[in-house]
Amino acid sequence: MRRVFLFLALWLGFAPALQAQDLQSILQIHATEVADPGRRTVNAVLDDLAVSGLSGVADFLESWQDKAVWQRADGQFFVAAEAGNDLHLTDIVSGAQSTASKANFTQIKPNGGVRRVIGTALVQFQLTDPDLARRTTAVASIARSPNADQLAPLLASIAPEPDADLRARKVQLANFLSASFAATPNDRIAAIDNMAQDTSVEARAVLNQILTVRPGVAAMLPDNENVAGVLTPGQDMTPDAAYSLLVAAGLAPPRTPPGVIRAALEAHIDGGRVADVPVAQLNTNAMRERAYAGLAAAGRVPPLVTPSDRDAAMAAFAFFEIYAEADPAITDAAKRALASVETRVAAGQTVDLALDALSLASIYFLAAIGLAITFGVMGVINMAHGEFIMMGAYTGYVVQLFIPDYTLSIIVALPLAFAVTFGAGVTMERLVIRHLYHRPLETLLATFGISIALQQLAKNIFGTQARPLTSPAWLDGAWVFSDVIQISYIRIAIFVLALIFLALILFVLKRTRLGLEVRAVTQNPGMAASMGINPERINMLTFGLGSGIAGIAGVAIGLYAKVTSEMGADYIVQSFMTVVVGGVGNVWGTLAGASLIGFLQKGIEWLNPSNTLAAQTYMILFIILFIQFRPKGIVALKGRAAAD
Amino acid sequence: MNSFFLRNPSTLWFLMGLGLFTIGVTILSEAGIGFLSTSFIKILGKTLCLCLIAVAMDVVWGYCGILSLGHFAFFGIGGYAVGMWLMYARTEGIVLDSLAAQTIPPTPQEISDAIGNQIFGVVGSSEFPLVWAFADSLFLQLLMVVLVPGLLALVFGWLAFRSRVTGVYLSILTQAMTLALSLYLFQNDSGLRGNNGLSGLQNIPGFETTPQATISLAFFYASALALALGYVLFAWVVSGKMGSVIKAIRDNESRVRFLGYHVESYKLLVFTLTAIIAGIAGALYYPQAGIINPAEIAPIASIYLAVWVAIGGRGRLYGAVIGAAFVSLLSSWFTGGGAPAINLGFYTVNWTDWWLVLLGLSFVAVTLFFPKGIGGLFDYLVRKP
Repeated sequence: MRRVFLFLALWLGFAPALQAQDLQSILQIHATEVADPGRRTVNAVLDDLAVSGLSGVADFLESWQDKAVWQRADGQFFVAAEAGNDLHLTDIVSGAQSTASKANFTQIKPNGGVRRVIGTALVQFQLTDPDLARRTTAVASIARSPNADQLAPLLASIAPEPDADLRARKVQLANFLSASFAATPNDRIAAIDNMAQDTSVEARAVLNQILTVRPGVAAMLPDNENVAGVLTPGQDMTPDAAYSLLVAAGLAPPRTPPGVIRAALEAHIDGGRVADVPVAQLNTNAMRERAYAGLAAAGRVPPLVTPSDRDAAMAAFAFFEIYAEADPAITDAAKRALASVETRVAAGQTVDLALDALSLASIYFLAAIGLAITFGVMGVINMAHGEFIMMGAYTGYVVQLFIPDYTLSIIVALPLAFAVTFGAGVTMERLVIRHLYHRPLETLLATFGISIALQQLAKNIFGTQARPLTSPAWLDGAWVFSDVIQISYIRIAIFVLALIFLALILFVLKRTRLGLEVRAVTQNPGMAASMGINPERINMLTFGLGSGIAGIAGVAIGLYAKVTSEMGADYIVQSFMTVVVGGVGNVWGTLAGASLIGFLQKGIEWLNPSNTLAAQTYMILFIILFIQFRPKGIVALKGRAAAD
Repeated sequence: MNSFFLRNPSTLWFLMGLGLFTIGVTILSEAGIGFLSTSFIKILGKTLCLCLIAVAMDVVWGYCGILSLGHFAFFGIGGYAVGMWLMYARTEGIVLDSLAAQTIPPTPQEISDAIGNQIFGVVGSSEFPLVWAFADSLFLQLLMVVLVPGLLALVFGWLAFRSRVTGVYLSILTQAMTLALSLYLFQNDSGLRGNNGLSGLQNIPGFETTPQATISLAFFYASALALALGYVLFAWVVSGKMGSVIKAIRDNESRVRFLGYHVESYKLLVFTLTAIIAGIAGALYYPQAGIINPAEIAPIASIYLAVWVAIGGRGRLYGAVIGAAFVSLLSSWFTGGGAPAINLGFYTVNWTDWWLVLLGLSFVAVTLFFPKGIGGLFDYLVRKP
């Protein structure tokens, strides 16, 4: 036992001596290079440090890079932090802390170039650092500014990487680096071929980087360059662009733009004339060119390049594009890979577009489903429906003012919004709509009056600026399938809500006593009344139900868009069109209408992505035409229920 | 003609009233005793244009039963058509003046580039879009005022009436048309300056030195004349046999069809004719307003039009005039801060905020309790035998 202790003490005490070297002694060997590093000399130090395999090397390199290494007068190096006139020293080997006056120390300040070299060397230490966060940062920094030096350390760090996600990322990144920087063309081609399945933006950027072209012009196609293609002026490029290439290459004189001609003419007015052309006649391009030609003939301005000169010059030269990458095998591989990637991206975008369209369709469905009941089933046209949506959204906003917890507030807001708009709907039915049941145009106008009043009322109460309706944290973010396909959780939630509503409405209408009575009153109020159903009560409840659903839709829409007094008006026309296109009097029709409009709008937006206004315009035009051909909508009722 | 006025005494009364009003305004204006300011003359002139489109709306809705929520779009198109010429001609004048100072006379291309730059600079372009092809010709643009709304109404009406879209469906469809048009105009690449619209329309090219007082009075007369002519035209349309058919279509479309009338043609005629008159009204309105932008065409404007006609009284032309004049003047009095605020102690009712609430609710009240509108009051004056 004693001997064991003795051995341990010996080992601990004399370990530096027994081992080849410690960090300080390696640094002392290269003391001059460490104290005053140059870009070339620093490599020797870094190599020795890397070979030593000591654990403190990465920390030291970081300090060195951050100008936190100081040298004592006796030549010893310390990591130190300044504190007034003192230094908090940390011993490089033992980590022991001490404080000393600045006077004895000099700070080591590597210049920018050296710091970059140190940084690169640091990467390989960081890539194998035991701390996952540090390794992730190192990988991210490589991804930000890839260069050839990082390839070898990155490849070396893949095998020992314990974290599966990070290892996959390292493999991907190593692939990108190999595609651009690997030593042999075969390695690069292999790496490029591996990227054919990678739809990430980064992979596409790497491939596009390899396929970078620059335009060229020469008398003949060059045979010692990797030519991407021949350009024909007028087809692949405008004649002007082609000619400016010639000018840039010094192969042709520059053209004289109209402004320069003007300036030249103005500069050479001589007694009211420019080269025998009176100034008053210089109001056409032909006369100006004639005057300019006169000046050129007299040698006072450089001659004009006429369109025929330009065409002759362009015909004499070949225009082409050259790959920056010299090896055709590599560019071919990159082209193949890019084509494959783009096919995959296109497929992904189609799916993404379909998801977008689905979520838009569910928003339209939510906005329109209440209307499908009041307008579709009861035949009452309610222009204030949009304002019920708004009311629901403001209810959500007010609830959040009182209940700061977002999840809880949404749970409270949904039924409360239903209650508020149910009440508003019933009140409106009792006071106004009841008197107008057989005058649909007047119902439209009266409800429109209510809509104006409600909108202005909301403006007076809540102001004109948008109010936030914040979604709970668990609805933030997006479900990411790949770089191309993703959908935000809030859209998924709205989709789910739309599905729930569809089921709920179908259940109420088809499976409950209320639904039975609603359908009976809709089809024949007189007969329904004689069967003991109170049509007035049913109408009131149905209208309330439709309005209440609008309120819940308002909460959902408010989560996804801002809450303003005009938000209802934004949806009202689309909602009516959803109901009309789908087919009045049928919940399935509303679903079909919402899907059609949602998919159509996204489809048109895809054709012209910069312009959502145009998409809406064309969609409305399409709907106007659609109604010409199917006036009863997609799902048309047949038989007695279809009677007007 | 004599007998027409004898059969329609209300038309004669209306024309006399309008004539007296015009004379009265002239006397009170700055050309007379100067009691009415130029800006108020403009408001009156604009109101007359609104009365004209309201009469058109009354014919299409009150007489023919088509609740069009798109007539303000035609109004706007008329305004845009005339505004394009006004803006082009005025900019051309300014550009020519500035280019004249240069030593070398400008080429046509330079002039056109400079004008384009002036007009379309706000939407980041300087090219003339195709719709401006005739903007340099006053005659062609005035033709557009009539042709574009007329053709649009003809095509739209033909499509809609042919497939028997009626009632609220037609209303929604016309509203969709208006929405599509205003959304289109809101785009910067629509060629009509996007949401900036056309501005500076109150400056009439060729009359730069004429004071605005004179110009506004001239437009006031023109609007009054247009209203008088339009009123007579519509009064003639809705009287006589054709008028009877039109009213019959409103009351029972199927029955008219079964009697052998081609209902679609009548509806199309009324729809197109009223659209053209709406375009003319717009062409007179916007030079007085000075600016037109897509927000003016938004669906809500067309609905307000229906509100005016309903409040004034449907199915009587003077009702539409009264409704439009009453509501729009009242509206500018309330929203312009003319109405005194009411202090309730705990809350001050500020009419700029509460006017729309009042309008909306009174509109509901009119629909429910006074379906004949203000014009219905005249029935108490004139007892029919």
